[in-house]
Amino acid sequence: MTQKIRFGDYVHEVSVHQYEISYNDLAPKVETDASGEMVPVKQTKLALKTSDMYHLLKPYLSVRFMDQVRAVVPLAVYLFLFQIIVLRQAVQDSWMITGGLFAVIIGLMLFMEGLTLGLMPFGETIGKTLPVKSPLPVVLLIAFLLGVSVTFAEPAIGALQQAGKIVDVNKAPYLYALLNEWATTLVLMVGAGVGIAAVLGTMRFLRGWSLKPMIYMALTATISLSAAAMFNPDLRTILGLAWDCGAVTTGPVTVPLVLSLGIGVASSGGKGESSLSGFGIVTLASLFPIMGVLILSLYLGATVTPESIIAGAAGAAAAAETTPQWYEVSPGVDVVLGVRAIVPLVIFLFLVMKVVLREKIRNAGMIAYGIVLAVVGMCTFNVGLTYGLAALGGQSGGLIPAAFVQLSEVQGSPLYSYGLGIGIAFIFAWILGFGATLAEPALNALGMTVQNLTNGAFKKSMLMYSVSFGVAFGIGLGVIKLIFGFHLAYLLVPFYCLGVVLTIFSTEEFVNVAWDSAGVTTGPVTVPLVLAMGLGFGNAVSAIEGFGILSMASICPICAVLSMGLIVQAKAKKAKTVTPSTEPSASAA
Amino acid sequence: MSKREITVLTDVALITCIVQRGVADRIVEAARKAGAQGATVSYANGTGIRERLGLLGVAVEVEKEVINIVVAKDQVDRIFETMYLAGNLDTPGMGFMYITPLEKAATFIPADIREKLLKQANA
Repeated sequence: MTQKIRFGDYVHEVSVHQYEISYNDLAPKVETDASGEMVPVKQTKLALKTSDMYHLLKPYLSVRFMDQVRAVVPLAVYLFLFQIIVLRQAVQDSWMITGGLFAVIIGLMLFMEGLTLGLMPFGETIGKTLPVKSPLPVVLLIAFLLGVSVTFAEPAIGALQQAGKIVDVNKAPYLYALLNEWATTLVLMVGAGVGIAAVLGTMRFLRGWSLKPMIYMALTATISLSAAAMFNPDLRTILGLAWDCGAVTTGPVTVPLVLSLGIGVASSGGKGESSLSGFGIVTLASLFPIMGVLILSLYLGATVTPESIIAGAAGAAAAAETTPQWYEVSPGVDVVLGVRAIVPLVIFLFLVMKVVLREKIRNAGMIAYGIVLAVVGMCTFNVGLTYGLAALGGQSGGLIPAAFVQLSEVQGSPLYSYGLGIGIAFIFAWILGFGATLAEPALNALGMTVQNLTNGAFKKSMLMYSVSFGVAFGIGLGVIKLIFGFHLAYLLVPFYCLGVVLTIFSTEEFVNVAWDSAGVTTGPVTVPLVLAMGLGFGNAVSAIEGFGILSMASICPICAVLSMGLIVQAKAKKAKTVTPSTEPSASAA
Repeated sequence: MSKREITVLTDVALITCIVQRGVADRIVEAARKAGAQGATVSYANGTGIRERLGLLGVAVEVEKEVINIVVAKDQVDRIFETMYLAGNLDTPGMGFMYITPLEKAATFIPADIREKLLKQANA
């Protein structure tokens, strides 16, 4: 007679060795006191062995470290290789730059972790409770103030302030004044722009307004202000800076913090569509700062004469002859800037929590740890910005013109014939933009959202490639603009007009996605690098100013995504499949 | 009116594994290699070891992924062990997993396979 054995029992015998412990023995005993009441169990703190600590911390650190390495290293390697192979120039101060890049990686890693642990909980709690406890005007006021204070905390803003050191006061007095004497006011105006955007974004969450009329209005105002600045020959130079400011503001601090407030407001009594509620705020936050900067510079143009700025700069230069204090030279100044960026934001959030909401702060230890991380990270990032990103970008930007014009620093320049050299410069900028954008993690996330939103009609890869192509052409065009020295407005105005025309024909979904995609692409690594590269490049070809590349990198992807969206729509209509919730675009006034 | 039929599966077990957000893909992949046919992953928040680790608790995500895998009883131990090792659950803070015996399960079973198995069972 055959005997039956379960196959499972057999496998169990040969492969698995399990020890068994009863959970009854492991679980803490619940004591009862004299009257028979249960004594609450006190959770004991765990003491870890060193090896366990290592196993615990290793994945935690390596994941966060590798995230930043992936953003920084490929770009740096590309710049190094390009300089050595195509331009045949050794990288100067390569050890200092490497150290600086390392500081950028560490700084960003600490900062991002600090942001999640220390600042985001504030944002979420405020977003959840503020609309319940306070009337709408108070909510909007706080949204505005939040917009102002997050701008100071944005890492890329530091890059803007550093750019001021390179500008020549005689060539562009107003630009110099804006970036030096008036630098704080400049950031304040940018912040005010973000603040207004936050207010409008919150209103949009509540009322479910369409984005289109807002874009038309904001653009009309911005372009008329630009035109006003254009007619003043002294002010013409600040246009590039103004339009670049829009790209700088939409970074890793502003977007999540403002969003969490907006979403909180929307969830407690809004009627906006949930699937789209996350979009649009980035667009507004990149248009309004442009207006703010333009207004400031028009005011400056009306009140201060270029001569007095030049005289003031000369006086400041003379004063700088005396030995500066430790906090006026790098790296001291970087640390001071880092602290100044985070601390006001923390104090503001804290005050809102305590005074307006009277909320208890939970998990205070963790939040304190996060804030310390954010401050340390910001300082480290600033130091790395000076010695790593800005130095590398400036160097590459300054050397590339050697491909087609004579530069005193480069022997045997021009290295290539004029036409070929300009081609090389364009291709260099193109690949830089393409690679940097494709690697941006935020773009990947946006692509995923879009794919879900359109039920797969607009594929993730399609969005990522169209945005990257857009940025690549934008940066390439920006470089061409610097070489030939024609004015930024001649590029921006036609492209923005194209953007508006495409917006009229697109559905609300695509408008939201497309206009937001511009802000997504300008992360804390790309912005300083491209800014420094543009300024170095501009100096080398003796252009008046090297701004404007970032603004080109903002509008081109918008046009690219909008046209892509129209093509997808047309195809969907042709195939007579169900188009992804085609909203009537009647709301577009 | 003809009687509707359904076929139910017996000898099934449920493995549930709770890990930090972002780790589930790796574990599911390992489980599939060990014979699991599918997995459901859902998001959740959890507490426990994070609070007891003090400052080191920052290394443990609050956000978790919960993996649910239904497996054949014959394979449950093997898949359980594979998942345990793939998720490094022997280190603090990495997660928690358990097996639940299930009475019955039902899903789509291709007709030819169904016929074959029913014939075998009746033989």
